Formats: sequence, structure tokens, C-alpha cells
Amino acid sequence: MKTADKTVMQNMSLCSFGNGANGTCIDVKDGRIVRMRPIHFGQWYTKEDLNYWTIKARGHEFEPGMETYCPPFSIAYKTRTYSPNRIPYPLKRVDWDPDGERNPQNRGKSKYVRISWDEATTIIANEIKRIDDTYGRNSIMAQADGHGETGSLHGPHGCMANLLDMTGGLTMQARQPDSWEGWYWGAKHAWGQEPLGQNVHQTNLLKDISEHSDAILYWGCDAETTPWGWSGQQASRMMFWFTEIGVKYIAVSPDCNYANAVHADMWIPVLPNTDAALQLAIAYVWMTEGTYEKDYVATHTDGFDWFQYYVLGDEDGVPKTPEWAEEKCHVPAWRIKALARYWATHNVSIAHCNGGGYIRSCFSHEPARLEIYLLAMQGVGKPGRNQLKYIEWALMGMQSFSPMPSAEILPDVRACYHAAMLGDLPKSFIPKTLIAKALKGEKIEWYGHVTSRHPREDQFQHFQFPLEGDAGIKMVWSDSPCWSTCWNDGNEFQDAIRSENLEFFLVQHPWFENDTMFADIILPVSTKLELNDFGVDTYNGQFNIMIDEKAAVDHVGESLSDYEAVLEVAKKLEAFGGRYKKCVRHFTGGKSEEEWLEKGYRGSGIGGTEWEDYDTFKKQGIQILPTKEDWEDDPAGMINFAEDPDAFPLDSATGKIEFYSVPLAEHFPDDHVRGPVAHWIEEADGHQERISSDRAKDYPFLLVSNHPRWRVHANFDDCPWTREIETCKIVGPDGYAYEPVWINPVDAEKLGIKNHDIVGLYNERGTVMGAAYVTERIMPGALYQDHGSHTDPIVMGQGGLDRGGANNLICPDKTSSKNAAGEVTNGFLVGLKKMDLDELAKQYPEAFAPRPNYNPYTGISVMDQIIEED
Amino acid sequence: MKTILFDASRCNGCYNCQIACKDEHCKQPWLPYTEAQALTGEFWCKLTQRDRGRVPMVWVEYKPLICGHCDNCKLLEAAPECVYRREDGLILIDPAKAKGRRDLVDLCSNVYWNEELELPQKCTGCAHLIDDGWKEPRCVDACSTDALTLVDEDDPRLAGSVDACGNAESGSHMRYINQTTNWIAGMVVDPAAAEAVIGAKVTFTSADGTVACELATDDFGEFHTKNLPEGAYTVTVEADGFAPLTVQADSTEADVMMGELHVVAA
Repeated sequence: MKTADKTVMQNMSLCSFGNGANGTCIDVKDGRIVRMRPIHFGQWYTKEDLNYWTIKARGHEFEPGMETYCPPFSIAYKTRTYSPNRIPYPLKRVDWDPDGERNPQNRGKSKYVRISWDEATTIIANEIKRIDDTYGRNSIMAQADGHGETGSLHGPHGCMANLLDMTGGLTMQARQPDSWEGWYWGAKHAWGQEPLGQNVHQTNLLKDISEHSDAILYWGCDAETTPWGWSGQQASRMMFWFTEIGVKYIAVSPDCNYANAVHADMWIPVLPNTDAALQLAIAYVWMTEGTYEKDYVATHTDGFDWFQYYVLGDEDGVPKTPEWAEEKCHVPAWRIKALARYWATHNVSIAHCNGGGYIRSCFSHEPARLEIYLLAMQGVGKPGRNQLKYIEWALMGMQSFSPMPSAEILPDVRACYHAAMLGDLPKSFIPKTLIAKALKGEKIEWYGHVTSRHPREDQFQHFQFPLEGDAGIKMVWSDSPCWSTCWNDGNEFQDAIRSENLEFFLVQHPWFENDTMFADIILPVSTKLELNDFGVDTYNGQFNIMIDEKAAVDHVGESLSDYEAVLEVAKKLEAFGGRYKKCVRHFTGGKSEEEWLEKGYRGSGIGGTEWEDYDTFKKQGIQILPTKEDWEDDPAGMINFAEDPDAFPLDSATGKIEFYSVPLAEHFPDDHVRGPVAHWIEEADGHQERISSDRAKDYPFLLVSNHPRWRVHANFDDCPWTREIETCKIVGPDGYAYEPVWINPVDAEKLGIKNHDIVGLYNERGTVMGAAYVTERIMPGALYQDHGSHTDPIVMGQGGLDRGGANNLICPDKTSSKNAAGEVTNGFLVGLKKMDLDELAKQYPEAFAPRPNYNPYTGISVMDQIIEED
Repeated sequence: MKTILFDASRCNGCYNCQIACKDEHCKQPWLPYTEAQALTGEFWCKLTQRDRGRVPMVWVEYKPLICGHCDNCKLLEAAPECVYRREDGLILIDPAKAKGRRDLVDLCSNVYWNEELELPQKCTGCAHLIDDGWKEPRCVDACSTDALTLVDEDDPRLAGSVDACGNAESGSHMRYINQTTNWIAGMVVDPAAAEAVIGAKVTFTSADGTVACELATDDFGEFHTKNLPEGAYTVTVEADGFAPLTVQADSTEADVMMGELHVVAA
């Protein structure tokens, strides 16, 4: 029998920003997607065609493979396209009247009525003009960044920013370096490594570690979870490989995360955000036992004596001994010493793949810098001693982000990219961490443009919002409506988005989820399986792939792509003339879809090379590029710096690894939280998030709120096939699917909490519900709940109560520290209590009333929020 | 016939096998092979997980349960009127003839009851895809780590394999290798000095006095048995300069994480 009518291919990356990954085949039958599966390269290419590479080490071999290694998200993606929570047609909040009462206080509560695209775009165009005329363009803010589908021509996240920019300007929400906060605000001041502060010299580290490393420290990272949305499962194969050849896996994290659970040889549980204490104690052991690389420190670093002065206790009278650290981080002193001594006598690398709490808690710049200090003390860059990344293997078009053999060409989608370019900010912008305060009308100040594209020195520039003479935000146009479930103190945002200041909140999105429920107008957006586009898969750690992405199916409902939706608004704006004259042509560049797709291909970096072959690309639907001929000759990792630091300096101020940062000392002489030398910070700058704090009496646990196993941030929370997995959702006695809260049996017994009890995580910022998951996979004293669950507020705003388990709602509101505007969304204090569902139902009858379209396996449904016409 | 081989040492617990099966069958009938699987609740390929150990020695064991299209299939025996074996060995429940046969669910744990369609259902080996030219079923195709492979009957890796219940000899064509027995692990520590004891000799002695295993603690003072037969053991720790320590451990029912074993200077 025929099991498919046609097959198309797409990159199913959930990174967005044009970063392509997860090449996937999509089989279609009778106009519906029937299956999604890996791409097998052998139907077009031989291994010889691809200059197939092999790593040989210790008598074993590792190969890239001849198929894509899809994560479960790619396999299950049709459930998102066909989600019952898809927005079917344009919607208007029933009690929002642009010509009368706007009822901002009812955002999140009141229901919606169906309107046409014509009505919706007329209202939107009129509002843009009115707000522009009344307050000026900087009162319109585009919220246009975030993870989600990766598109190019139809690029999600920022098409509207381009339209606003070309018709008079806007205020931009500036995307934080949220995956790298500690590296960005801290490590850059120790070793440069622009633009992120993580090692950007990854080239050939797979080979180097395979040949030379004894162990890898997996510090606070989960390479079985975080890479899924970005690069599939090659990371998993790498970890199996390292085990096969005897490279020891040492896990350092509060949780036995999904990678540790399978690959670890040993696990060192450390309380959330106390890594700095552990690091200082390791340094103490090395200093007192003389087991660090003294020659390397002398030639490759600057300011070591300042660090030593602090570690040994000369500065504050407190030597940072293993016993001192044990009290703070709960790693036994004997284990700290053993780890320090093992590290000092073996070739050890450190692995990261973002995520986890290690680098997104308060003062995250300190553990990040301390890691660089430790690496330096053991001669980072020498064979087997590096900092390795399991993710983002082609980030920002930089081949040097990949530890795998390099390719001849690293193609990108820039030439046909219609979304906003990250880092390209107008004069008026707001750090994403400070959006809620700006929406409330507060004047805010900070340092730096805060995006991952800006260099270290940018962090010394002072900014403010609103600019002098501006009126603040009156309209938000969002294509990434998940602020409250992904950022800091989401409850404050839920208050802010209902503020009188905000006259119009416009959302374009495929699903009725998270902040979408606060919108005044909602435009239905297509998923990428409904669209033609040009895509690449360059993060897979195998071969660089270019894909002629064909629409698998027609647009679902009345949806349009992000690009098409903004184009409809442009058409309405054009009628106003003046600055809007010819804005449609400006927006489209006068090109058809097919013309853009060809431009994308030819401008990807392949144009003019021997591999440029558009006809074959179109015919095959795919082009896979070979590995570089002489890839083995590329210097591995930081070997050049290790061998000759003068000839190959780092991009720090001195070109060396800086234990003491002169620029920080000069620019922020009074900052003792991010001072010139990294320290252990107990509490400061509004953060009291330590177990020693007074707050810990009421909120005794430190919460790990990692990148989720079964979502990419807030994406994918409506998938029935992940929701029926116990670590994803637990259905309570009320038939509602709750987000699991991991608790160690020792703590569960103390609190009288049993497996699957309905519980509440709480602090003074509010309560989020969940279901207890009693497990040894979390250390005593810490709790774990994935972040990004859909918000389902019972009581909105500060002090509120959320049934969905969106723990970002109760994260701290303050940034990393006073002068570092990073997010703090992990490793903060909470209490845990059992929740009585009967009592709650009595107290909140409306919230607990049956919702006809709610299904525990798909979650909330937009149909319960639409007032049906008679 | 072809056999699905599961290598427990290669499974990362990604659930691709379970999800790919659902992607193929949920709400999608492939008649005459099978009716559609319910959107949720049926697991023709079911990945199970089990936490093992205690902090700080914790691992998770994953194991997929899939119909083995057994030589001695109970369904085929009990209901030949609605269950049939194909030439390639795959056993299918005929959806046109099996309506209402709830009794089949009780015969085998790999059979699920589709409430809406009133049908017993199970893995078809993706027979419809195989007949359309596929080389392997969806669960195997989606496996990114080679934990699941489809092998021929004479594949050497099948030697030493077991079925889902641990039986070496059975007619199941779903086979498992590299599963580990319950382990015994711990850490030897000198609390007086706050030091791990490296190179301590750890001896596991059976009830009959046989020494089953001897280990040395590693650079972190840790020891961890590998494939020690499950049972009760006397564990003796000996290290230079310390008094010997003897404790009991029984791995019959579960893994034993002994925690810190404190030794005292002799």
C-alpha cells in the first residue's frame, strides 16, 4: 500500500534566529502530515561525496553517521501543527474597544470574539498611526525574539520590527544573552572569548578530547536535554563515545539530570548556585598543595596574586577551605579534595551545553569567572584540557563553535532572512529583564546593549528608558508571547501587561498560550510545516545541510506566516501615505517568494563556489556539503594560546586570562559584587537567595528550574505524546495535568508529601502548583521543576497562584547584580506545601469550573476562550 | 525472522521509539493491517524507566517493551480466527475480525484495548511500511543512538540476549543485551581526616564463603560492582593504616548504595 503521497524536508530547529538544525523528512498523505522521520543521506550521497570523517582513538572509531539524529520534538511535531490550541482565526478581546473602553485590567480574563483579517489589520494600522501621532514611534515596542520555529523568508520573530523600522522607528525589546548570562557578564572579563564569554575555540575538540582527556566535568549541564531543540542527538552519541573509550564522566549539578542519569560515571551533587564555593575550595587545595600549573599561570595570566590573596583568606580572614565550602554547597570536604587532586593530576576538560542553574542564577558572573580561573590554573588549551560545548555548533555563523571536523562551507540564511537581526537595535531599546518595569511606566537604567552580539566594552555604556522626551510604551506588538513563562518574576509582568499605560497589546502566534491570553488582538500564525522556505541544518555535528523547505500542507485555519501577517498590516498602512508610502514594496523588496528562496540559496555562502548548483538543490530538495579536506590540520581548541600566548592572545584587555579585571575596577570602582576578582557573594543587590538568608526560614529549598526535558522553553507544552510521559506531566485527581516537582525522599518524608501529591512552590512573589515526583534524582535541600510550563493563572500578578506550574512567575525580579542586567531564573529560594484541591475549588470556583475543551493530554484550549457566534 | 535488538548500554531515554510509533499509528489507520491507535494511552512500543540507587549514586534504566512476534504467540493460539502470522513472521491482529475481543488483552501485556473502536491492538512491526519498501519499523528508524537495531536471526549479538522477562530461551523476537544486574556501590572515607580512601580493597563474599568479587576504590574512594550476581554479600573493606570494616549488603531485590563507609585508623 501507499504510505505517503509526497515527502518534503524541513529544518525543525526550535532555536529560531535563523539557526537551522534537526533536518527532518515529512511524509504527507491525503493532504495531511502522516509521519516525521530522520533524513537518510544515502539516497543522494556516498560517504566519499561527503568526505566522510572518522575519529580514531584508543582503538575505537567514531563516525558522524549517514542520517539525521532527530530529537523527539521533530518526530512529534505534527501534534503542534494540528494542536487543538491553534488560533483558528483573528481574535479580538471582547471588552477591548479601540474607540471606547479598553479595559486593560481584564487582560487575561475576558474572552475573545472572531473578527476578519480585514477588520484586524484595519484596527492595527489605525492604532499604529494613532499611537505614532499621539506619542511618537518609540511608544511602540516590538517583542520580537525568542526560541521557537526557525524560518528565514517567513522568519518568525521580528518581521514587524522591520516594518516599523522602515516606517518611522520603534522601541525594541533587547534579547539578553540569556543562555550565557554568567559567561557574558563574568567570563568575558576574565578571558574575552567574544561574543559570549564561552570558549569560541572549539575546533577539533572532539578529536583532542578523544585522544588526550582522562575526564570531562559536566558542570551544571544536561547534554541529553538542552541540545534537542538546537542540534538533535549527536551530543548523545558523543557521550556514549567518550564512555566507550574510557573518558570519565564526572557530573557536578544539584540534579541527576537526563544526561547524568545515563552517562555519568560519578555525580557530585552541589546545592543550586553554590558552585562558586566549590570552585574556590578547589583553588584552595591547589594553592596550598602547590598542584597548579605555576609556569602557565606566570606566562598566560594576569593578576593571580589578587585571587590567591582572597582564596587563602588574607583579604577577609576566611580561607576558602573545603570545609568552608561544604557548609555552603553541601559537597563533603573529602569529596572536594578528591576532585581537586584528581583534576590536578589528569587531563580534564569541562563540558557545557547551557541550561541548568549554573549560569543563570544571581551573581552568575562569579562562578563563570571562577571556572575560567580554574581552567587557567590547570593550563587550559593544553591537549585534553579545554572547555567543550555540546550545543550551538555553528552559532552566529562561527565555524569555530563546533568541536567536530570543520566543513568546506558553513551556509546561512541571511540573504533571505526577514526576521529581526539580533543585536541590531534602534536607539530606543529595553533589556528583556527590565520589560515589566518599563511597561509599568518606571524609568529604568542599565549598562550595555545586553545582546549577545555586543563586545565586552559595551557593558560599560550607560542607558535608560524612556529616552528624554519619550512617553513610554503604549503599544506592544509581540510575536514571541512567552515573557512571563521564560523570564524573571513573571508575576510582575502579568501585572505590568494589564497596566493602564498599555493601550494596545497585539500578539501574532500559532497557539493560544502564555502571554497570548493577555492580548487585545490575536493574529493566527502558521507553523513552518505550512510554509515554503529556505533552511539549513548546520548544528548537527555531522555535515552542513541546505534544505529547500517545501510546505507539507496548506495553511491551517485562517493562519498566515509571520511575514505574511505583517505584510497584511503593511498593505493597510500604505493607504495612509506619507512615511508609509510604498511600505509594501520596501517590506517585500519587490520579490516573490520563489525569488527570495533563490536569493537565500545563492547568498548563503555557496554562491560562486564549486558547490553552487541551484537546479540540483531544487530537484533533490536538499544539498549536503562535504567535510573540509584538511580538517585534521586545524589546531585543536586553545592549543595556539597555550603554546604561544603572545602570538595568539585572547581578546581580553591584556590578551591573557585575567584573574583581576582592570576594566571592571576602573568602570565600577564601587561594585563589590562583580568586582575586579571573582568572589563568593552571600547576598547583595536585592538578592537574598542563600540557605543562610533570613528568607530561607520561610523558603528553605533552592529550586532548580532547568531547560525543560519535554519542551523548548515554553514551546511544546501541548504535545499529547510527551505529556503522557511521567516526567512531563502528572494528572491529578481533578483530571488536570500538573507539572512535576522533583523532591528527594528525605525531604518528602519531612514534609509529609507523597508521590503525585498536588503541591505548591511558593515564595513572597507567588505560588505555582505542581505534582510531587519523589525521586533520588534530586539532592536533599533542592527541588526541581522544569521551567516553561504554560501559565494557567488562578490569581494573576504578584502574590498570585498559577495552576500551570510556570515557575518563572516566582523568579527574582532583580538582575544578575547591580551593574549586570542578566536574568535570574534559577537557583532561588522557595517553600513547598501540599495543596488541597477541594479547598482551592471552593475558594476559586471560576478557575476550577469545568472547561469543556480542556484535555490533560493537550492542555488548555483556545476554544474555551472564544465566544461563539450564534 | 528479523529481530529487534535492544542494547541497554546505548539507550538515552529519549522516547523517540515510543513517540515514532505514536506518530505512525495514532489516529491514522493503516488498513487492512491495523486500525488507528488511540491518541494517548496505548503503548505499542512502551519505554519504561526505573530510577536506580540513591544520592549521590543514581542512574536511570530505560527499557522498551515491544511485541516480540513470538514463535509461541498466545494470541495466535487462543484466537486464530482473528490473529494471523505473515510469511515474514510478523503477527497481526485483524481489525476486521477482532472487534470486541477484549480477552486478547489479558493474554499478553503488549496488547492494548482501544475503547473507542472496541478493538485489541498491538505492534504490527510496521508491516504496512515494510510492504512499501521500508527496511525497518519506525521505532528502529527513529533511534538516534543505535540502542534499537533490526537484526537477522543469525546476528552474533543475539548470543547471550534475553527476552523482556530475562529468559534466554524463548520464542520472542524482541531481544535485550547489556542489561545490568543490581549493583552494590559505596564510598570509603576517613572521616577523621576528611579524606577519601583511595585504593582500599573491597571484597564481596557470598553466604557460602566464596569470594565473588574484589574491587579497589578509585581516585574518589568509590567502588561499584559490575554484573555481580544478585544476592546477599559480606562486604569487607581493607586499607593500609585502617582497621578492616565489614558490612552486609543484599542486592537481591534492588541496587544497594551503601553511602559513606567510614574507616578508622588502626
